[in-house]
Amino acid sequence: MDSITTAASVVAAGLAVGLGAIGPGIGQGSAAQGAVEGIARQPEAEGKIRGTLLLSFAFMESLTIYGLVVALVLLFANPFAG
Amino acid sequence: MASETVENCSSHDPLLDIDSSDSSFGVKSDEYLELQFRVFRLTFLLTIFSVCIAGFFWGIQASASLFIGALSGIFYFRLLARGVGRLGTSSKIVGKVQLLVPVLLVLVSSRFPQLDLIPALLGFLLYKPALIIQFLSMP
Repeated sequence: MDSITTAASVVAAGLAVGLGAIGPGIGQGSAAQGAVEGIARQPEAEGKIRGTLLLSFAFMESLTIYGLVVALVLLFANPFAG
Repeated sequence: MASETVENCSSHDPLLDIDSSDSSFGVKSDEYLELQFRVFRLTFLLTIFSVCIAGFFWGIQASASLFIGALSGIFYFRLLARGVGRLGTSSKIVGKVQLLVPVLLVLVSSRFPQLDLIPALLGFLLYKPALIIQFLSMP
């Protein structure tokens, strides 16, 4: 792998993880805030709120995982490596 | 002044009373555990079905990679569920330890030639169809 490909892969890996984590991070923060407020207001609905929060977190975090996988593939199994 | 108002609200308003010794607390936790078990069960069923299909069409190597990916997906979901279960009680944030699972999966599948990367990643994502089915079947 030549140096330009290596440098571009490392930069792209960093961008993939960094940019891919911004949106889910904001979303998870606001979802957790809403869930904790909801549990505090209505403790009898804690099970349902936690369940919905778990499903939402799983969907949101998969976006981070996509970026993470792209970054790891670029770093450890680069398809552009000659 | 403000702290007095907050104390008055928390002592008199039943909506803001968050006593963990509530008698229905066990029922709420059971509901959350039941949801987790339903998702695990669905993921196991999807894993068995996918491993059989992959073994029949693409061979034992793809099938083994898919199986290992599915197991790591279940482990990831277990860690995420544990983090969400702790939120608000013993922790203020949801931990990110579960993100190490896909990292290790990609590293292991890129190091060992017996494992394929794409089937392992597809197996890891098998928990998502289970979640979608669970989400659609929720009342």
